[in-house]
Amino acid sequence: MNSALVSPRRPSAVNMLGYTALAGMETKTFLVYHWSVVVDLIKNLIATIVFVYFWRALYAQTPAIAGLSLDATLAYVLLARIFQPLGSFMLVSEFGHQMRQGALAHIQLRPLDIQLAYYVQNLASVVVALGRQLPVALVALLVFRLRLPTNPAVWGVFILSALLGRSVLFCFDYILGCVAFYTTSAWGLGFAIFGLSLFVGGGLVPLVMLPDWLRPIVLNTPFAQAFYVPISLLSGVAPLSQAPRLLLIQFLWLLGLAPLSRLVFAVAIRRVTVQGG
Amino acid sequence: MAVIEVENLSKVFRISQKEPGLGGAFKALVRPRYTDKAAVAGISFTVEPAEIVGYIGVNGAGKSTTIKMLTGVLVPSGGQVRVLGRDPHKQRVANANDIGVVFGQRTQLWWDLALIESLNLVAKIYQVDPARYRQLLDQFAETLELKPLLSVPIRQMSLGQKMRAELAATLIHEPKIVYLDEPTIGLDLIVKERIREFIKQQNQTRGTTVILTTHDLGDIEELCKRVLIIDAGQLIYDGPLATIKARFGKFRSITFETLQDVGGFQQVPDGAETLSTDERKLVLRFDRTLTTASKVAKAVMDQLEVVDFSLAEPDLGSVVKQIYGGALREPAA
Amino acid sequence: MRRYVSLYASFFRMFLKSILEYRGSFVTLVAAVLLVQGASLATIWVVMSQVPSMNGWSLPEVLLIYGLLIFSRSCTQIFTEYIWNLGSMIRQGEFDRYLVRPINPLFHVLAAGLNFEGLVNFPLGLVLIIGTGRTLGLFASPFNIAYLVVAVASGAVIFFAVNLITATTAFWIIESMPVSAAVFENYLFAHYPLTIFPRGIQFLLTWIIPYGFASFYPAAFLMGRDVGALAWLGPLVAAVLLVLGYRFWLVGLNRYEGAGS
Repeated sequence: MNSALVSPRRPSAVNMLGYTALAGMETKTFLVYHWSVVVDLIKNLIATIVFVYFWRALYAQTPAIAGLSLDATLAYVLLARIFQPLGSFMLVSEFGHQMRQGALAHIQLRPLDIQLAYYVQNLASVVVALGRQLPVALVALLVFRLRLPTNPAVWGVFILSALLGRSVLFCFDYILGCVAFYTTSAWGLGFAIFGLSLFVGGGLVPLVMLPDWLRPIVLNTPFAQAFYVPISLLSGVAPLSQAPRLLLIQFLWLLGLAPLSRLVFAVAIRRVTVQGG
Repeated sequence: MAVIEVENLSKVFRISQKEPGLGGAFKALVRPRYTDKAAVAGISFTVEPAEIVGYIGVNGAGKSTTIKMLTGVLVPSGGQVRVLGRDPHKQRVANANDIGVVFGQRTQLWWDLALIESLNLVAKIYQVDPARYRQLLDQFAETLELKPLLSVPIRQMSLGQKMRAELAATLIHEPKIVYLDEPTIGLDLIVKERIREFIKQQNQTRGTTVILTTHDLGDIEELCKRVLIIDAGQLIYDGPLATIKARFGKFRSITFETLQDVGGFQQVPDGAETLSTDERKLVLRFDRTLTTASKVAKAVMDQLEVVDFSLAEPDLGSVVKQIYGGALREPAA
Repeated sequence: MRRYVSLYASFFRMFLKSILEYRGSFVTLVAAVLLVQGASLATIWVVMSQVPSMNGWSLPEVLLIYGLLIFSRSCTQIFTEYIWNLGSMIRQGEFDRYLVRPINPLFHVLAAGLNFEGLVNFPLGLVLIIGTGRTLGLFASPFNIAYLVVAVASGAVIFFAVNLITATTAFWIIESMPVSAAVFENYLFAHYPLTIFPRGIQFLLTWIIPYGFASFYPAAFLMGRDVGALAWLGPLVAAVLLVLGYRFWLVGLNRYEGAGS
């Protein structure tokens, strides 16, 4: 299932290799930007339709998979598509690339300020991206009869979990961005991990369905913490009773990654100022 | 036999009229309205072999439209165009084999690969005989000083090097006609000179016909004996450059080098005006119809100790400006 | 004709050389494509090992459809998906350059760039087809093998023709990339047995954007399902679409040369 998550936008990185031979990177005109929003929407809708019928077909001859009913799985899948921006993480990896270009003015600021700035920006862009998912949400609600949870506790837990998870992913992304200080291929690496994150984050399959030997490995990734946990809580795949435990795990992740990201960044900055950009 | 024959050539574009706002966009969809814009309105000229012709016009005057029709990219709305006896659009491939085009801003060379790779590919596209190709490469290596550049990718070249490389790629199949669009744009003076020298040399040794569209009047002055001036789709002048310079070049500038500071210069002679004053350099411009060079020089020398002075040729820029301003329609002064 | 083949080889070599300039990126991009495909395949595998079937289709059967699709797409992807960029070629004046060269402009557009995702999808698709084909006992008869080859070829041509048609809109609206991308995205449906989708979508992928002939109908036929005449229509649909596509291209080119950009 190559979902819309695959190519953030055409031209994909692979096409860029062809582009360079034709000289010049085009700047997106307003019109192209306009249209790309429409195209993204169409891609999103097609992927959603594919997912729904895919799962319906799988459930045709069995009432439950890994203890989940068709309705539960569909709820998960649809919510996963609607909230897919929660799992996006290429945003910050770009900045490592920019830094190398010599935005040395940033060095003037204390590391904490930069990171905070990026964090806020990251959150804001996720909110905006979620806003753009509204048409997909409408289709899910009206056409596929998605039923949103009515219990406000579920929503509360979801928002908290989403925030925690997003922060965890941000720190991970930030660390990845710092790696970009060292190599130009870092963004390519990011792209590769991006491909992995679709599956590992639970964007394609509720991770509870994974075989026992695989599940714990996958659950212990920033992707799963950022995406699978909140979505499973919201969709009911993870019952409310598990919320305290899941939230605690997310919090521990954050406790570990946040200072690590600060440290990595400080080291990278030092390297840049000592060795030059 | 003329290489280019253009007869009553015209090109009309339909421009859709759209009112602003959402209502306008909707209206345009339901009942589209068009106006016809004549980018080229019946021009005629011929070009003989081995001429270097300058094609001047303001932006939007119809220059690039004409060139597109000459190269076969655009179909004329009316009239006839024959290049080397062919209809450039109907016999596109045959015509393409005999022409070369340089678009000043865009290169036809591969960005990331060494120049020689691009040249090899271009030679292959035009089916240049391999032995001849090697000969030409050697020649260009010399005349364009390309030897050190052959293994350099285009993205690492300076603007001047890029243009030299571009010219090599354009001429490698020995076209009979070359269309140069802004070939020296953005280049510094010395590089411009070299490029112009090269073009002149190619024209003289190979008899290549050159159509030069440019805003750089230095190119025109150096290379072209004949200019075509197009304005609002019509050819308002077709003839020797010397003629319009003589007729309209009424302004001349004199540069004086003085012993003392020019600051004390007060009396600007009649018919002249000060263009610039530096510490010991004074540049005046005078109107030939109102005064003479010697009168101006005498007036200045009466006031200042002049060490040296030089008289400049008519300023083509002002000539062209006058022509655009309608000077051709006035009776000769 | 021979000249064009050799000319294309030259263009291709130019691109390979370009790619080598970006060696590091190339490797990671290959990894990226593999991982993305891997993610989808992993999903299918993980889930289908827990259910009896996908609405009557077994795991190897589903993977055969998937493999056929990415394989036939890859055949055309490497060489022709670049035509999606026709819009930017026109906008940047690059296309005029092609018109001034003594070769067919469509050829030039296709040769101008390559898409390397296809290089990864090609062996991947092949592996899937051979793997599942062997499990399903498809290669027992030479007829089947011939049928597969024809099916893949038809699929590749269909992909190309659809790309050509959507890209040609650039002659009118210039920004053809959104059109190409949006139409193309429907190929997601063809990764799976079309019968799991509602009739409307089946119709869309059979008669309007006929990707179904690249994967589902050939696979269904080979596995003994009754799809009637649709088992044989692949090559015909491909041929018709190609002719239509090329005609449309000529119309578009004519318009471009008449109206400018």
